[in-house]
Amino acid sequence: MSTSLDGFDLVTPASLEEALGLLASDPAARPFAGGTDLMVQLEAGRLRAGRYVNLWDLAELRGITESPESVAVGALTTYTDIRNADVLAREYPLLVRAAEETGGTATQNRGTIGGNIANASPAADTPPALLVYDAELELRSTAGTRRVPYTAFHTAYKQMILAPGEIISRIRLPRRTGWLDYYRKVGPRRAQAISKVCFAGSIAMSGDTVADVRIALGSVAPFVVRAVQAESVLRGKSINDEAIAAAERALRSEVAPIDDLRSTAEYRLRVASNLLREFLSHSQ
Amino acid sequence: MSTAVGGSISRKDGWVKVTGRAPYAADHPIAGVAHAVAIQSTIANGRITAIATSLAENAPGVLAVIHHGNAPKLYRPENDFMSATKPGEARVVFEDDRVHYSGQYVAIIVAETLEQARYAAELVKISYAVEDPLIETDAALDSAYLPDEFFGEKLTTKRGDPDGALSGAAVTHEASYTTPIEHHNPMEPSASIAVWNGDELTLYETTQWVAGARKTVAQTLGIAEEKIHIVSPFIGGGFGCKGFVWPHSVLSAIAAKKVNRPVKLNLTRKHMFSACGHRSETKQHVRLGAERNGRLVAIDHDTVVQTSTVEEFVEACGNTSRFLYSCPNVRVRHRAVRVNVATPTPMRAPGENPGLFALESALDELAYKLNMDPVELRIVNHADVNEHTRKPWSSKYLKECYRMAAEHFEWARRALQPESMRDGNVLVGWGMATATYPGIRSPGAAKVRLLQDGSVDVISATQDMGGGTYTTMAQIAADVMGVAIERIRTVLGDSLLPPAPVSGGSMTTASILPAIRKAAQDALSKLRQLAATMPASPFTNRPHDDIVAEGGRVFPKGADPSSGLAYEDVLKRTNQSEIEGEGYTGPGPERDKFAFQSFGAHFVEVKVDPEIATVQVSRVVSAFDVGRIVNPKTARSQGYSGVIMGIGMALMEHTVYDSRDGSIVTSNLADYAIPVNADAHSIDILFVDKPDPFIDSDGLGARGVGEITVTGVAPAIANAVYHATGRRIRDLPITPDKLL
Repeated sequence: MSTSLDGFDLVTPASLEEALGLLASDPAARPFAGGTDLMVQLEAGRLRAGRYVNLWDLAELRGITESPESVAVGALTTYTDIRNADVLAREYPLLVRAAEETGGTATQNRGTIGGNIANASPAADTPPALLVYDAELELRSTAGTRRVPYTAFHTAYKQMILAPGEIISRIRLPRRTGWLDYYRKVGPRRAQAISKVCFAGSIAMSGDTVADVRIALGSVAPFVVRAVQAESVLRGKSINDEAIAAAERALRSEVAPIDDLRSTAEYRLRVASNLLREFLSHSQ
Repeated sequence: MSTAVGGSISRKDGWVKVTGRAPYAADHPIAGVAHAVAIQSTIANGRITAIATSLAENAPGVLAVIHHGNAPKLYRPENDFMSATKPGEARVVFEDDRVHYSGQYVAIIVAETLEQARYAAELVKISYAVEDPLIETDAALDSAYLPDEFFGEKLTTKRGDPDGALSGAAVTHEASYTTPIEHHNPMEPSASIAVWNGDELTLYETTQWVAGARKTVAQTLGIAEEKIHIVSPFIGGGFGCKGFVWPHSVLSAIAAKKVNRPVKLNLTRKHMFSACGHRSETKQHVRLGAERNGRLVAIDHDTVVQTSTVEEFVEACGNTSRFLYSCPNVRVRHRAVRVNVATPTPMRAPGENPGLFALESALDELAYKLNMDPVELRIVNHADVNEHTRKPWSSKYLKECYRMAAEHFEWARRALQPESMRDGNVLVGWGMATATYPGIRSPGAAKVRLLQDGSVDVISATQDMGGGTYTTMAQIAADVMGVAIERIRTVLGDSLLPPAPVSGGSMTTASILPAIRKAAQDALSKLRQLAATMPASPFTNRPHDDIVAEGGRVFPKGADPSSGLAYEDVLKRTNQSEIEGEGYTGPGPERDKFAFQSFGAHFVEVKVDPEIATVQVSRVVSAFDVGRIVNPKTARSQGYSGVIMGIGMALMEHTVYDSRDGSIVTSNLADYAIPVNADAHSIDILFVDKPDPFIDSDGLGARGVGEITVTGVAPAIANAVYHATGRRIRDLPITPDKLL
């Protein structure tokens, strides 16, 4: 428990430029978006004192824009915004499913997609969907803008490649057709639950063979992971028992679940494997 | 004749609750209130060696820091439930430097604002001499002891020769069943606002027992009972954790005394996990012996539970096994271990609920061994009398419950073999279990006041923790008085009112409603006497027993009601502002003649996803014999809540302790999962609705419906899970990792 706000300083910049300037001038300053993670940490006494830069009012970080090649989602887009976006429902249904599965209404109204990424919880529900959609992150700082594939963003538990003073500004999803999507979240109850396992898959078939496939999981490793070995086992193959078994073996070798309060490593491993099988069986 | 009783009447308190105007304990606006924060121990066993408070005392806004070194003298109350002195734990707060469990209160901060108090709480540095805590039951088994009695019931009993009968039985079943520590988690955390006026104390509380709170706090503070006023008009759920009196009520009082102004102490969710009780872990071993035709010849139900080092509370799991089924040879034993965990307390059907998980799971297993339908097995063993007390039942319609629920559920379509029903890929299982809870009644008093405007106040120091007492009290008065229920106000939750028992043990309906009926009759009798005194009226020269008061009118016997006067006109014309009837009723010699017990049955369908082993309770049909149903709408809601709480018990709820330091790992509602709406699907609640002819002498015949509804739910689900999957889970909760 902590409510001493001594040493906490929340500043509200008027523009993105000012926000980036504030973050650049104080390397210890942290961005503050919807607050659905940081306020819980504050209540629990685990939030570090210091300067917080309130991004909430920055219009530059909001909005969903479409181009022929991609759909770009502002980092401050809330789960509620995602649920209400027709283009996402049409083309990126897994992201909408993940948003529906995250928290309750209050959390969905405040929580943001950028915050969900930057909080870097291995149990977060939107990152597996972003991984299967080949999301690219746009990162901004006073030094400029760079783009990185989301697959390269997380490096270890709660570690990521954000440089000091840098924020996630936009998530770019390439447009695509001909893919079949699959998403399942397993929690202790049927809503408002922290995942035991979260599985997202997307597959493009060419006749009987797998033209391309994406598989991503939450809660089975120190950060959300893409199962690239399982994917490569499947590419170019027909989906049959042999291919499914090979993919399951590959998947088991590339995830590293743990025993914790919410489940066991054994359960997570078996469920990850079962869900992979279910995903592939549905794609046959 | 009005028929409010038996009508599905919406809650009288519903409107103020859904519009946010109902003041819960912490909501009462008190001028000049200061805010308290309780500091909890971070160790589970040891001594406080030093408390450094100077930083906190000098922090902004801080008014006081109180701990065992500077607390006023407090006194252990009598600790006698029957005399309304029941603290949650015998030890009084700040008694000495000993720490018995993690989360024990070790200091309290009072400040101008809540934020200042919380900040200062972080500045208090407490040093401990730490001793190894004993947290887990298994680690404490060597020191298990046999508690003698609990609430007047022997905890070790035997009839016949269970061992002999078991060794000669044609079919036997033996297994161990465990249930974890569970917390009540009411929506409203406990809170207490203390206001001293000279030597008189008003406590705004959330309590299931205003009379118990008054007497227990009075004895703890060492002041006269009549100096304390407990106010608790609304309770945001209790389930037992607001029944006994816990230290926060005393903390707010001593803090307010110390700073000489009102003090509010509002517990956090985290506090609630060690501040006001929980259900003990239970480890139960059941042995059953039966003949080939299913007749039970032996039941042996052996239980180990936890209690704390500061109180004895025993979850009496086996006591129902003494009489639920007909069986000549029965042994029940309870042992307890003392661990460094806060004290357990009643939680919705204490004893019956975890006890039935073991007994009803075991019976299901026996049914498979006998290749017998589980309903048939229960009917074969129907107890026509209470074989433990040897008394006949006051009324019992258990077979009717089985029949009603089974028909509604279409149980006859069930395949006997497990793993034989499917819905596409999903495994389907059907299971059932018996429900039971005693029909308790206590003395209770009430007043009914008829006002000059024709409206009526119904008054008792009972409580409504969400079950519907505000409404049922008004229904009784509406019928007796012949006044529309909209014109009746219910007044409760205040220790200045006529005394009533704890809102626990499902006893409120049977205890309070007969008293209200008497009070209403008394009010009408006084009204007739008043009418008889009226000069120049239709009643002139008539004795009062020749006058009728009913349906809102007073008139001469045999005459048309329109020839008389409205109630309010009698009051106006006699210059009376009001008349007040009194009623006091209680159990009598019928308790020596009959066994009072409610019964029911749950039929459950589960769907299990074979890939991920998650269980969905897709359909529940429950039927209950609880005597007359006063209000089908609120009674059904009790049914829904019991079933949903049972789903939580069966599938989710589990308080996890760190055995190294005794701290609670799941002390929040993210990590302690309870069901959400999406976990509750089709639930049908049925009632036999036959009055109990003996529970009261007023012809009401209602036994109360609060606790029975949760009993039997968890085993019915576990039995359905077995039927679906062939996997018998004897260790609650049935989480996917146990099932996969």
